[in-house]
Amino acid sequence: MTGLSPIDVVAMLPVAVLVAGALVLLMSEVFLTSGRRGFMAGLTVATALLAALAALLAPAPGRVFAGQAVVDGFSVFVTVTVCGGLALTALIGAPWLHARDAERGEFYALALFAASGMSLLASAADLLVAFIAIEVMSLSTYALAAYMRRGRKPAEAAFKYFLLGAFSSALLLYGTALIYGVTGSTLFADFARGSGSLFVIGVGLVGAGLAFKIAAVPFQMWTPDVYEGAPTPVTAFMAAGVKTAAFAVLVRVALAVWGGAAEGSVRFGAVVAVLAVLTMLFGNLLAVPQRSVKRMLAYSSIAHAGYLLVGVVSAGAAGARESALSSVLFYLAAYTATVIGAFAVVGAVERTEVRSEPADTWDLSRLAGLSRRRPGLAFVMTVFMLSLAGIPPTAGFVGKFLIFKAAINAQAYGLAIVGVLTSALGAYYYLRVVVYMYMRAPEAGEEGVLTLGPALSVALAASAVAVVILGIGPGPITDLARAASMLGQ
Amino acid sequence: MAQTNLLSIVVFLPVVGAIAAAFFPGTEPKQHKALTLVVTLATFAASLGLWFGFDASPGAAEFQFEVHVPWIPALGVSYHVGLDGVALLLVMLTTALTPIVVLSAWNAIHERVKEFMIAILVLETAMLGSFAALDLILFYVFWEGVLIPMYLLIGIWGSDNRLYATVKFFIYTFVASVLMLVAIIYVGAKAGGTFDYPQIRQALDVSVSTQRWLFLAFAVAFAVKVPMFPFHTWLPDAHTEAPTAGSVILAGVLLKMGTFGFFRYALPLFPEAALHYRPLVATLAVIGIVYGALMCLVQKDMKRLVAYSSVSHMGFVMLGLMALTAEGLTGGVYQMLNHGVSTGALFLLVGVLYERRHTRLISEYGGVARQVPWIATAFVVVTLSSIGLPGTNGFVGEFLILSGTWLAKLLHAQWFSAIGATGVILGAVYMLLLVERVFFGALSNEKNRLLPDLSLREWFVVTPLVVLIVAMGFMPQPFLDPARPSVDRLLSRFATVEQRLRDQDPGRAPTTGTQPPALAGRE
Repeated sequence: MTGLSPIDVVAMLPVAVLVAGALVLLMSEVFLTSGRRGFMAGLTVATALLAALAALLAPAPGRVFAGQAVVDGFSVFVTVTVCGGLALTALIGAPWLHARDAERGEFYALALFAASGMSLLASAADLLVAFIAIEVMSLSTYALAAYMRRGRKPAEAAFKYFLLGAFSSALLLYGTALIYGVTGSTLFADFARGSGSLFVIGVGLVGAGLAFKIAAVPFQMWTPDVYEGAPTPVTAFMAAGVKTAAFAVLVRVALAVWGGAAEGSVRFGAVVAVLAVLTMLFGNLLAVPQRSVKRMLAYSSIAHAGYLLVGVVSAGAAGARESALSSVLFYLAAYTATVIGAFAVVGAVERTEVRSEPADTWDLSRLAGLSRRRPGLAFVMTVFMLSLAGIPPTAGFVGKFLIFKAAINAQAYGLAIVGVLTSALGAYYYLRVVVYMYMRAPEAGEEGVLTLGPALSVALAASAVAVVILGIGPGPITDLARAASMLGQ
Repeated sequence: MAQTNLLSIVVFLPVVGAIAAAFFPGTEPKQHKALTLVVTLATFAASLGLWFGFDASPGAAEFQFEVHVPWIPALGVSYHVGLDGVALLLVMLTTALTPIVVLSAWNAIHERVKEFMIAILVLETAMLGSFAALDLILFYVFWEGVLIPMYLLIGIWGSDNRLYATVKFFIYTFVASVLMLVAIIYVGAKAGGTFDYPQIRQALDVSVSTQRWLFLAFAVAFAVKVPMFPFHTWLPDAHTEAPTAGSVILAGVLLKMGTFGFFRYALPLFPEAALHYRPLVATLAVIGIVYGALMCLVQKDMKRLVAYSSVSHMGFVMLGLMALTAEGLTGGVYQMLNHGVSTGALFLLVGVLYERRHTRLISEYGGVARQVPWIATAFVVVTLSSIGLPGTNGFVGEFLILSGTWLAKLLHAQWFSAIGATGVILGAVYMLLLVERVFFGALSNEKNRLLPDLSLREWFVVTPLVVLIVAMGFMPQPFLDPARPSVDRLLSRFATVEQRLRDQDPGRAPTTGTQPPALAGRE
C-alpha cells in the first residue's frame, strides 16, 4: 500500500467532516465562558448536514484504499441516513439534556464520533476496517449510554452494553483471524477463496459479532436493558444509527459470502433465514407484555431487525438482489425517521428527575390522555406507531411491502408469511399506545401542560413529515435506494 | 377535465375537508358539524355526476371514469381508479349514507367533535377509495386505511366496553388482511411485476393448487369483513359498543367491502379455486344465515340484535354470489344495497331511542308507539324492508338470491335455497318480536311516558332512507341496471373457465349459470 491518493481523501470527506465537527465541539467546551450551550445542537445539525452533503456531492469512486473500503451509492445512502438520524438526535437531545441540566459538548462530540464510525462502516470492504469502524462507533455509544452517570439503571445499561459489546468485538476479531488464516486476506472480496470448516467457523464468528450489533436472536439479550437504561435520545440514536450501520456491513459481508462459491454458503442463507424468523417472533412476542414504552420499543427494534434480516436473506437469491437491497435501504431510512420520532415523544413525556427513577418513568400511563394534553404530540406519536406497525399510508408500510416483495421475489414465501403475521401481532402493542393516548383519561396529577421546545418540535415535525411523505410518495426514495443497491464490489 | 377527474374528486373531497377542519379551532363544535355536513353533501352532489354519467349499456367500457397515472413506477404500483356498475352502486351508497350519519351524530357526540368529524371524513375517503381502486396495492392501502378511523370511532366515542371491542375489531381485520397482502405481492410478481387489476386479471396464470392458496388468502380477508360465520365474532361487540354513527357506517358500508371484495377480486381472479371452494363458502353462508337469525331470537340488547341480523343478511349476499347465476349475483349485489339502507336505518332508529333513554335494552321499552308514533312508523317500515316484505327493497334482493340459488347448477342447490329461506322466516319472527316488545302493548315503563317524537333534524335523517326503501322496492330497475354488465362479465368469465375445465375433463358437469327453465325474465 502506497501513500494516500487524493481520491481516497476526497472519498472519506463525510467521515472527516464528522470528526472535525466533533473536535470543534470538544474544544468549544474547553473555551466556553458562559453557560449557554444552545449553539451546540445547531453546530451538530450543521455538521451532520454538511457531511450528508459531502457524501452526496463528492464523486463515488468505488474502491479506495487499495480495496479496503468502497464508496458507492450504497455507502452514500447509509451515510446520509445516519447523518439524518444524527441531526434528529441532536435536536431531541438538546431539550432533553437541558431539562436535566446535563447539556455538555461531550454529548454532541461523542454522537459525532459515533456517526463517523457508522459512516466509515458503511464503506468498509475489509474486516479490519470494519472492526476499526465498529470500535469507533461502539466506544462512543458505550460512553453515550453512560452519559447520565447518576442512577442505577444508566450505570447497569452502560456496563452491560460495554461488556457484551466487548465480547462481540472479540468474536468478530477472532473470526477475522480465522478467515485470514484460511484465505490469507481480510478483504471481503477474497471470501470467495475460503473453504473448509475453519473458514465456516470464522464467518460464523464474524456473523455473531455483527448479530450483536443489530440485536438479532440469539444475541439480543442486552437490548431491552440497554435501551431502557440509556438516556432516551441516545437510545433513539442507537436504535436508528447503530442498526443502520451494522446492517450495511452485514449486507456486504453476507453478499461476499454468498457471492463466492464457498461451500456451505447455502447453509449460511438457511441459518440467517432461521435467525430472521426467530428474531421476528421473539421481538414481537416479548414486546406484547411490556408496560414500559421504552422497553416495548426495544423489543420492537429486535423485531424490526428480523424484518431487515428477511431482506438480507432475500438478497442471497439470484434475481432478487436488487429489490432486496433497495428494500433494506428503504426500510432503514423509514425506520430511522420513525423510531427517532417515537423515542422523541417518549423523551418528551418522561419524568425529568433522573435520580429518583420511579418505576413508572416510561410506563404507558405516562401517555394516558395525551391527546387532550398535547393533541399534536399524540397525533405524531400515532403516526410513528402506525408506521412501526406497518399500516398504510406510512413509511413503515412501504418498507414492509418492499421487504416482503423482495422475499416473494426470492421465493422465500415462508419468511414473508411469518413476517406479515408477526407484524399483525405488532399492531396489537403499537395500537395499545394509541389506546392510552386517545381512549384513556390522564392519570391524576398528570394533567399538567407539557412544554416542547422549538428544537424538539422541529425534530418531531421533520420525522412525522418524513414518515408520511415516504408513505404516500415513496417513489423518489425507492428510486434512490434502487440506484444505491448496485454494490461497487 | 372535470369529467375525467370526477371520480378522484369524489374520493378525495372528504379528506380535503378533513384537512381544512384541522385548521378550525376545536372549541367551536358547531363549525365542525356544519363543515362536515357541507363537505359530505358536496361529495354526494359530485357523486350524482358519476351516477348520471355512467353508461350501463352492454357495449360500454367495463370501467368508467378511469384515471391511470404512475404512483411508484419502479414497483409497478399506479394510481388507477375507475368504476364498474357494482362499485358505482356502492360509491353512491357511501356518499348518500355519510351525510345522514353526520346529521344523526349532531347531538349524540358532545366530546371532541372536531376529531369525530375528521375521523368520519377520513373514513369516507378510505371507503370510497377501496371501491374505486383498480390497483391492488392502492386497494390495499384504502382497505387498511378504513381501519384506523373506525378504530378511533369505536374506541373514543363508543360505550362502556369500547376498548375491548375496538381492539378486537382491529386485530381480527388486520390479521386477516395481512395474508392478503402476501397474496397480492405474489400475484403481482407472477403477473409480470404490475399491480394493475385489469392487467393482472388478464395475465395471471398460476397452477390450480397455487390458485387455491391465493383464493384462501383473499377470501379469509374478505370473509372477516363480511363477516361470514365463523369469522363473525368481532361484529356483535364492535356494533354494540360503537356510537350510532359508527354502527351505521360499519353496517352500511364496511361490511359491503367484504362482499365487494369477493365480487371484484376473489371470484374473477381465481375462478377455478372459487369453483373448488364454492360448496364450502355457500355452506358457511347458509350456516351464517340460520345462526345469525337464531342468535337474534335471544338478544336482550337492540343493537346486538341488529348486529346478529347483519350476520344473517350478509349470509344471504354471500349465498347469492356463490350461486354464480345471473339472478343470484344480481340479487347479491342488490342485497348489499338493501342491507346498507335498511340496517343503517335500523341502527339510526335504535340510536334515536338510545339518545332519549340511554339504554339499548329491549326490556326497558314496551308500548312506546303511543308516545312516539312517527319513530314507530319508521321502525315498522324499516323492519318490513329488513324481513323482505313485497313492496320493499328487501323482497327484491332476497327473492332474486333464493331463486337464483334454487336454479344454480350447484350440488344440492335446492337445499341451500330451502335452508336459506328459513332465514327469511326466522327474520320475520325476530324482527316482529322486537317491534312488538319495543313499540306495542301497554306502556310498561313509566320513564317512557314523556319520550319526544322525531325532531326536525331526525326527520331529515330518517326520511331519505324510508323513501329509498320504498323506491327500491317498487322500482328496482334503475338500481339493477348498472350491476348488470358487471354480473354478465363475471358469468362469462366463469363460463370460459368452465369450458376450459370441460375440455380437460369431458365428463364434468356444468356448475355455473342458471338451470333451465329460468324463472326470472332475463333474455
